[in-house]
Amino acid sequence: MSHVLHDIEKQVIKVLQSEPNLTEEGISQKTTLSMDQIRRGIEWLRLKKLADVTETTSISLSLGKNGLEALKNGLPERRLVTLVQDGPKTFDEIRSSLHGFDFNAAIAHAKRNDWINIEKTDTGSKISLKDPDADVPNDSDLIISKLGERTIVPTEFDNTPLAEPLKSLMERPDFIIQHEEKTKTVSLSETGKKIDLEKLDSGAIDVEADVPHVHAARIHPLNDTINEVRETFVHLGFTEIIGDLSQSSFWNFDALFTPQDHPARELQDTFYLKGLNAKQLATPTQIKNVSSAHKKGWRYYWDIQEAKKMVLRTHTTCVTIKYLADKKPDEARIFSLGRVFRNEKVSYKHLVEFNQVEGIVVGKHITLRDLMGIQKEFYRKIGLTKVKFWPTFFPYTEPSLQSMVYNERLGKWIELFGMGIFRPEVTKPLGITKPVLAWGGGIERIAMLKFGLDDVREFYNNNLSWLRTASKCQ
Amino acid sequence: MPVVELSLSRLQKLVGKKANKKQILDSLPFLGLDIESLEGNTVRVEYSPNRPDYSTDFGIALGLQGILGISKGILRLDIRKQGNYEIKVDSSTSKIRPFVTGIIARNGSLDNESVKQLINMQEDLHFGLGRKRKKSSIGIHDLDNISFPLKYTTTSRDHRFVPLNSTKESSISEILRDSEVGKDYGSILGQSSKVTLITDAKGQTISFPPIINAALTTVTTKTKNLLVEVTGIDKQSAEDMLSVVVVILQGAGFQFSQLKVSGSKNSTPNFAPRSIALDADPVNKILGLNISGSILVSCLKKCRLDASMKGKKIQCTIPRYRFDIFGGMDIVEEVALGYGIDKLKPAWPASVHIGEKNMTSEKLDSISRLMTGFGFMETLNSTLTSEQILYDMSNRDSSQMISVTSSKSQEHAILRDSILPGLLENLSKNIHETYPQKFFESGIVFSKDSPIKETASLACVTASEETHFSKIKAVLQSLLRIGFNIKCETKTLSKHALFSQGRVAEIVINRKTVGYIGELDSKVLENFRIRTRVVGFEIKLSGLIFD
Repeated sequence: MSHVLHDIEKQVIKVLQSEPNLTEEGISQKTTLSMDQIRRGIEWLRLKKLADVTETTSISLSLGKNGLEALKNGLPERRLVTLVQDGPKTFDEIRSSLHGFDFNAAIAHAKRNDWINIEKTDTGSKISLKDPDADVPNDSDLIISKLGERTIVPTEFDNTPLAEPLKSLMERPDFIIQHEEKTKTVSLSETGKKIDLEKLDSGAIDVEADVPHVHAARIHPLNDTINEVRETFVHLGFTEIIGDLSQSSFWNFDALFTPQDHPARELQDTFYLKGLNAKQLATPTQIKNVSSAHKKGWRYYWDIQEAKKMVLRTHTTCVTIKYLADKKPDEARIFSLGRVFRNEKVSYKHLVEFNQVEGIVVGKHITLRDLMGIQKEFYRKIGLTKVKFWPTFFPYTEPSLQSMVYNERLGKWIELFGMGIFRPEVTKPLGITKPVLAWGGGIERIAMLKFGLDDVREFYNNNLSWLRTASKCQ
Repeated sequence: MPVVELSLSRLQKLVGKKANKKQILDSLPFLGLDIESLEGNTVRVEYSPNRPDYSTDFGIALGLQGILGISKGILRLDIRKQGNYEIKVDSSTSKIRPFVTGIIARNGSLDNESVKQLINMQEDLHFGLGRKRKKSSIGIHDLDNISFPLKYTTTSRDHRFVPLNSTKESSISEILRDSEVGKDYGSILGQSSKVTLITDAKGQTISFPPIINAALTTVTTKTKNLLVEVTGIDKQSAEDMLSVVVVILQGAGFQFSQLKVSGSKNSTPNFAPRSIALDADPVNKILGLNISGSILVSCLKKCRLDASMKGKKIQCTIPRYRFDIFGGMDIVEEVALGYGIDKLKPAWPASVHIGEKNMTSEKLDSISRLMTGFGFMETLNSTLTSEQILYDMSNRDSSQMISVTSSKSQEHAILRDSILPGLLENLSKNIHETYPQKFFESGIVFSKDSPIKETASLACVTASEETHFSKIKAVLQSLLRIGFNIKCETKTLSKHALFSQGRVAEIVINRKTVGYIGELDSKVLENFRIRTRVVGFEIKLSGLIFD
């Protein structure tokens, strides 16, 4: 079994392999580790069953306040004996040398040891030695003097004549203090002892330990989806074209056969730029042809001033139609992607400014079924597999279809991209002779499916905690 | 898209017992009708504005009968010339609202639901085709209170009559001033002293178009016979509108008599169908199909058109109310619908096209990658923003402000001329998140030109107590050097609204100022409630790394 050990653990093991039982302090003296590191290291080793920790309690004794007093002046009973050595003395006489508590203690212990007699006389009680010639035992005095100012372990008097007197001294208040101290002794387990530190891969670390979160700086999640959509169009053979966000009404509406009194052109749906009119609109032929298509199709006076009004583009189609009108390709796959604008109330499903992509296929032999196939392949590439098509209406395409994509999370069909063939009323006036098939739609809707969002505004809130944590690979 | 609410059981009755409810619900989307909601017997569907006949269940039933094969081809229209119904047009109307047309509908009955459907139709026609009543508008009246001939004429604003939903007489001026419809649509009449009016042979006021009918001719569920009149400024549009009303009333069981229209530029309406002939081959080609002439004909009949093959040509007959059909491509769509969109199988076209990203997209991509490499998080802000963020809180000069008209939201009323204020707003919204915070955004900024100029720019900010000028300058220099091999200088600038004095510089490349860099001014930061030090820069990319 190989062990992956932290550097702290290695240092602890190394010390214990040369000195089997050590306290934490002992280890600390022999390494450069802090006490905190040592405690952590020991805990890790214990959990890995590489080290054992035994806790022992050691007891030591030293003299207390009364003990130290006795060391200086002798035990009270000893002093009593000395006082009555020369003959009996009354209580009062003794009290002049032995005060208060000492007096009581002296009488009590001398009596218990059977050293003195107490005789009641007319002049008060008198104390006398029981046997003036006999030696009074001095074990307790010995203990006091042996302890002196040291600290000893209680086992020092085991199996000696002093064991019993120590016991009785310890019962007396403040003569001897008992200290308790707990010590952790660390030793290696059998496995721990066998670890060969030399053989351990010195670069290895604990790869299973928890670590803090770090935040990656990253591309905005919506831009991730936009980039994915762009890449997918490129994979499908489409070439990107770009155009301005501000456009003349001519390219945004008139060139797409949207009559000038159409509700979509009203202020409540479209953002007009206050007081700004286009200086250059289109070529004179383009203007003339578009104008007559409107007069013929919609029977009204077509006003060039209306066409000059600048708007924020309501779709990317203005970019693609201008490209087609200027280049008139016989064969092409192009696309345009970017911001578009609608004068709407902002809500969980509507934004005033959002991203749209639109692909255009021009070709003599291209069919509606081909366009459906391209779209199906597009969805497959971005991970949407259940797709169906329904008829719908767009003002400048005919026939027009919408694609529906099944969403498992919501359990329903979601309307995504629209598609259709540009009406001849759009293409003919601009000199485009080959069929033009268009498909596209809003990108936020796709991103919402990918990121599981139900509120489209989330993309533009720039909430850092969401930006930091939204999963990237969906 | 407009919405109509339908009763499923009523719809089933109109379609015919052969269709069950599931078939009906499954078929609706294939008529281009999106089911918005379905609750019990009530289904709400969205229909296309080019199909006002779908504004009622009568029109939708007609479509369903076709696509389900229950009843195909054109619904024949029988308009009798019996009765002496006439409206005479006075030439005084020609400067105000020159055209009137109409029809007599008899022997029908209208229950509550039918009245509801007719009101929905009328509102739809007024809004869409009628351009909010300006181009054309409808009045539907109880025929039995009217004496013929009628007169379409003009009157002064003092003229008095009892308007619909009222019991007392009002003058035209009072109606325009006090009633809801008067206030909403009065402007259509302009400032002229005269207004249009329809009166009957007894001199009774029938209607004050395009504002309100008279109470005299109120339609109720007891009404059996109707007069429908349409007035407008465009004759064809008025007749288009009438044709929709006629096909709907036909569905509701009415029989028709002609209303003769005479005088000025007016004439009796003609409901005759049109004919379009087109080659069958291109139809197959554009749809990617190869179906026989007889199937093509059958597809068109399922869409309630009539058709026959004449050699290689399809001869298609289009009823009057299908004025959404302009030409051949519209017929192609009808074929696709009749064939069934669900039966059109996606194909994969062989292509020799090699796709390419636009150079600008590529370069912006590179910049984004480098900026994230430097530790900056990308944010996205609207280019249409608010005066408050862009100018007020940023202490910037608003004299070159570009605004949009009638925005529904104050937060989106001004086009940005700088990205930095948006980034400060982003910092402001994230003050509770951990620091350091580093943001960047690249995108379009606008400036006045002839008439307007769009420039791609890049801006970034670092918010942190430890940051300072040299750190952000290091990012700027490395970005330009690594990304585009461009050397830039920073030249002392005495003053800039966004930055602190003495800590701001112009970014100069080839002796041209392309942006600004510095420590953000404490007053500006205070306005955005940012309590930490912020450094940043903004640089124009158009003209620098792409055109």
